[in-house]
Amino acid sequence: MNPRPSYAIGTGLFILLGFAALAYLATQTTSVANIHSGDSYIVKARFQNIGQLKERAPVKIAGVRIGDVQSIQLEPQRMDALVLLSISKKYNEIPDDSSAAIFTSGLLGDQYVGIEPGGSPTFLKNGDEMVLTQSAMSIENLIGKFLVNGGPKSSSGSSAPASSAPPSSGKP
Amino acid sequence: MNPGVAQPESSAAALVQVRGLHTRIGAKTIFDGLDLDVPRGSVTAIMGPSGTGKTTLLRHLTGQLRPDTGSVRVDGEEVTKLSRRDLFALRERIGFLFQNSALLTDFSVFENIAFPLRQHAKLPEELLRDIVLTKLQAVGLRGAAQLMPSELSGGMARRVALARAIVFDPMLILYDEPFVGLDPIALNQVLRLIRTLNHTLGITSILVAHELAAIQKVADRVYLIANGKLVAQGAPDELARQDSPWTRQFFGGEADGPVPFHYPAPDYATELGFREAHR
Amino acid sequence: MNANLRRNWLLQGVVSLGECGLFFVAVAGAVPKSLRYWRELCRQVWFVGAMSLVIVMTCGLFVGMVLALQLFNTLSIFGATSELGTAVALSLFRELGPVVTALLVAGRAGTAVTAEIGLMRATDQLDAMSMMAVDPLAYVAAPRFLAGIIAMPLLACVFNAMGIFGGHLVGVTWLGLDNGTFWGNMTSTVMLQRDILDGVYKSIVFGGVVSLIAVFQGYTAPPTSEGVAYSTTRTVVFSSIVILAFDFVMTAFMT
Ligand SMILES: Nc1ncnc2c1ncn2[C@@H]1O[C@H](COP(=O)(O)OP(=O)(O)O)[C@@H](O)[C@H]1O
Ligand SMILES: [Mg+2]
Repeated sequence: MNPRPSYAIGTGLFILLGFAALAYLATQTTSVANIHSGDSYIVKARFQNIGQLKERAPVKIAGVRIGDVQSIQLEPQRMDALVLLSISKKYNEIPDDSSAAIFTSGLLGDQYVGIEPGGSPTFLKNGDEMVLTQSAMSIENLIGKFLVNGGPKSSSGSSAPASSAPPSSGKP
Repeated sequence: MNPGVAQPESSAAALVQVRGLHTRIGAKTIFDGLDLDVPRGSVTAIMGPSGTGKTTLLRHLTGQLRPDTGSVRVDGEEVTKLSRRDLFALRERIGFLFQNSALLTDFSVFENIAFPLRQHAKLPEELLRDIVLTKLQAVGLRGAAQLMPSELSGGMARRVALARAIVFDPMLILYDEPFVGLDPIALNQVLRLIRTLNHTLGITSILVAHELAAIQKVADRVYLIANGKLVAQGAPDELARQDSPWTRQFFGGEADGPVPFHYPAPDYATELGFREAHR
Repeated sequence: MNANLRRNWLLQGVVSLGECGLFFVAVAGAVPKSLRYWRELCRQVWFVGAMSLVIVMTCGLFVGMVLALQLFNTLSIFGATSELGTAVALSLFRELGPVVTALLVAGRAGTAVTAEIGLMRATDQLDAMSMMAVDPLAYVAAPRFLAGIIAMPLLACVFNAMGIFGGHLVGVTWLGLDNGTFWGNMTSTVMLQRDILDGVYKSIVFGGVVSLIAVFQGYTAPPTSEGVAYSTTRTVVFSSIVILAFDFVMTAFMT
């Protein structure tokens, strides 16, 4: 019936090869945690200065990626940045008194949101806001502080959490 | 104007009936009121200078091209008004032999002839094979079934195309210049096939050709078309004896006549600069 | 009226664009009917896809290798050579894979399709088909169009995989980067949806565009030898322009 069966075989092999290449790319060049999947929840955090933080930047706990930055907006009344973090449902036991800070990976690398777990027995839920936040460090600020205080004694890293946010902001 | 009413008997006898055909392609008028009848079971030859629109006429008959106005009836159906589906149904009953054979280059001779069968009839493979081989036997090329079209000579390709055209046992076959480029032997083989198909199977044939000797052997009737109109018609011998300028030029082989030797041009002496152009 | 239109190349361009659009509608309309001719579709996927594998794989390998070499030099200025794998992968998946594959396919398969259909037109094969009550849009045009859409993303994936292999060859085997760093940094940054699948979507669009242009040029080629030759050239020129233009537009929308 079929005048040239070799075409069908060759075509089948070609399609298999193509999908094998796609599967290879999907599994070997990405990590499964990077898959954007619907099963994630949103947590809010306000920062006075987000520095170079971008949408889709990673969100990490202890250096492990648990989600990414979904959106960044300016909140006009309070003049601070509202950052929505999209966190994988897998990590649904983050204490609700955890703090968020913006870090830089490496010396000149991209910025990411790091979460420092707290000790509360209740966990963050979808729509919750993280109260304790720490803005991005800017090199200019660091240098300025260094000049004013005249020395490295005043620890720059943990200068009080820039939490001008009132603690009442829990649920909308 | 309406042939179905005006000439009822003639429409019953004629397989193909063309009335008041007008066609323009671009700025050029191809047909300017052409009337033509092809009786059932006859071999009708159509002659005319190159570029007159003989191929265009055949394309009108199969609905590949619609005329501007006029009526084209094939087997009682008004081709100009058929839907696409009905047109395809009609075409299955018409065989068309293209000027350059038009075999599908990807397929062998066998598959070329099997092509229309595979597309339209779900036949068991053995039956399909039998039909194809029968048609190939009829054109004398059963031995060439596994060759590719590029391996065929012009005459063989023409005969394969003919086998493909008759694969559905059509009621009508249109031959577009079937003798062009054939050596005398191949020409006589094709001629014999046309005659056999007509005599033994009663297939009506329309033949576009220039070869007077061949036409005299096979055609019942000749139409001579020029300038978009029918300029002469009759049996081949009768037409050859007719004394009109057209037939004289066509059958007498005169270089000049109603079809001028010179392409239209400004006055010769003027263009060479010997004479002032008339203002 | 018509002659005036022809004289103005700008209007002529708009006219061809319109003709191409109408042709696209006609081909898309013939797609359901063409599924009956799946064997022909199969043959075209073989022709457009499998027959392009050698050139696509070779080019993918070399593009990956040269990319690694160039990026290594640039990244080493910032002391960031550990990100070589990431940089190679992202450049390939998001840009070079889809675009270079499309250009290669336009040059290898697109031209062949144009020349083939142009010659089928010139030798009356298309008319012969419609005389045999087979719609050439469904039998000739639609399978070639679909074959481009099917084959292009698969070829781009093969290209990307070969490119990663080439980048690994240069970066790890030749320049001595750490194997774990190469893969680790790549896998922590590359995302399936944003990077790989967006590239695949691009490829699907490029496949449709390239095969539509090739089929259209073949269908409308003047039935002479120089007509077919000219149409073949135009397939490459138009495909290249449209691929790069679409690439820009799609990239702008995707990021
Ligand atoms: N598709 C077309 N486009 C433009 N002109 C055409 C086309 N088909 C036919 N013509 C013109 O119509 C005329 C008749 O062509 P044709 O029917 O092939 O003539 P014949 O077969 O009698 O030699 C020719 O002058 C040709 O230039
Ligand atoms: Mg002709």
